Amino acid sequence: MPKYSDDFTTQEMIVVAGSRSLPDNKVIFAGTGLPMVAITLAQLTHGPGIVPVFEAGAVGPELSRGLPLSVGDSRTTYRANYLLGLNSAFELTQRGYADIGFIGGAEIDPYGNLNSTMLGDFPDGYQRPKTRLPGSGGASDMACSCERTIIIMVHEPRRFREKISYITSPGYLDGSPNARWRAGLVGQGPQRVITTKAILGFDDETKRMKLVATLPGETVQSVQDATGFELIIPDDVYEFEPPTVEEIRLIREVIDPQGYFVKKKIKE
Amino acid sequence: MIEWTGLSPDEARQFLANKDKSKRDKRMSLKEAVQKFVKDGDNIGVAGFVNGRQPIAIVHEIIRQGRKDLILSFQSAGLAIEYLAGAMALDESKNSIKRLELAYWAHEAFGISPLFRYLTENGKIEVEDWSNYNMSARFKAGSMGLPFIPCRSPMGSDMVQRNRSVIIDCPFTGRPIMLLPASHPNVAIVHVQEADIYGNCRIQGPTYTCPEIAMASAHTIVTCERLIEHNEMTRYPNRISIPFFAVDAVIEVPFGAYPGNCHGLYYFDEKHISEFRGACEKFRKGDTAPLKEYYDQYIFGVETFAEFIDKLPFEQLQYVQKIEPGIRLEAGFTVLGS
Repeated sequence: MPKYSDDFTTQEMIVVAGSRSLPDNKVIFAGTGLPMVAITLAQLTHGPGIVPVFEAGAVGPELSRGLPLSVGDSRTTYRANYLLGLNSAFELTQRGYADIGFIGGAEIDPYGNLNSTMLGDFPDGYQRPKTRLPGSGGASDMACSCERTIIIMVHEPRRFREKISYITSPGYLDGSPNARWRAGLVGQGPQRVITTKAILGFDDETKRMKLVATLPGETVQSVQDATGFELIIPDDVYEFEPPTVEEIRLIREVIDPQGYFVKKKIKE
Repeated sequence: MIEWTGLSPDEARQFLANKDKSKRDKRMSLKEAVQKFVKDGDNIGVAGFVNGRQPIAIVHEIIRQGRKDLILSFQSAGLAIEYLAGAMALDESKNSIKRLELAYWAHEAFGISPLFRYLTENGKIEVEDWSNYNMSARFKAGSMGLPFIPCRSPMGSDMVQRNRSVIIDCPFTGRPIMLLPASHPNVAIVHVQEADIYGNCRIQGPTYTCPEIAMASAHTIVTCERLIEHNEMTRYPNRISIPFFAVDAVIEVPFGAYPGNCHGLYYFDEKHISEFRGACEKFRKGDTAPLKEYYDQYIFGVETFAEFIDKLPFEQLQYVQKIEPGIRLEAGFTVLGS
């Protein structure tokens, strides 16, 4: 049997990339949707020691009762090591117990600031937005107070914009030196952006987004074309290892067989 | 000084000073509880989290009676708010929401909220965005009897531009810190697994922000899956999540969080959530008939929540109980064993 899968969707690829970016034995605060799928895949492959935290209160549960459909549902609490409520989950994050926050958003800018609140004019159009999105939930708290954040997003020009409509979850803010520290934030900010086309990071000096690796089937040019701002392209960009047959099997057969979060096709 | 929605901290303190805190039988009908404790213009603290343990039965009763100009305060919600929004969408003269103080309104795996889009994109409601921790901490400040609580997030976010938070330099460290005003709703609506007749509540699974919302509010209506013996409740005092004197009305309503998830008892009913959410989505796109039919059949066409449950196929209810992965309710120390 070949090691690598030659039949996978972009969403399956993003889950694999997300999973591989999670180090073992770290406390990972996971948002709803793709982060939950990726964290489960990581636990089943290289990261059995990952400690998941969910904002509704569960700390360190076993994710063996089916894919949670909500970060507060019964499947997030099985054999948890601690279970209270939202205040306790965010308090321990503020204290420094959460190594990595794993979140998504609808729009992102070059400094890793995320929007999940509204499209349209802010502040003038705030009370009557063009499109209203669900809102922060706990994502902004994770972006501020987890030690690092990993962002997972669909890669499209309309989602990667030089200026986004609204900053819900802070990244490096305006990119100026020590912007996060000066704003009063305790976490160090986004480390990686995992997308349907690439793995991205941030330049140490300018804090602008840089390309780290291209996903299978993508090139530096195709990633830049799908990005609504100019990416920093370092010399050491590499091609990301394709998903293995085993990773794809786990997603399809074990983790999300009904396709709740890993859709066959990404909705426009 | 800010403009307080619900009670100001001083009003909330005074209200409790004058309140009857005796340990008395608080059972009554849901109809009576809503008549007594939910008024037009109230700030309602909505408990649960997204579609987990939301007070759906209480919301259906509010809609049947009709309440206007409500302020709804919550961290993350789904169905409870969608139901109130649907009632407003169908007839604003009978039910209406004036303002939301929230962190998130959608349905996670089941999709976005169609009526959040409908109401905001048409300028029909006022919105104040916060984070989940912000709303939870605001209720916590209320429950602690403090006018505000400091918080480290989300400074740098656009939320702080349009909500009532204040960022100051911490007097002890000199670094910026965000202060959140307490939230004291007029009434909290809460669904739990177990309560006794005095209002003591035992929550199973995540407590979400239910204890804080109940303790912060002037009044609290509790529905429970099971009324249990007071002696059984007090066998484990540190498992009591909400104490009796924070509760004004207790009503046994099995399936009171349906079609959402109630830890230990039933998982999401995807089929029914899709039916309702689908009708809301059609309404947003201009086809109002399915939503009207839904309300006529399941809310206005019945007198009690039990009659709504009675309209559902038994097999469907059996299924959501069967697939619930949480630990089944037991009389004893329910967090142990599986």
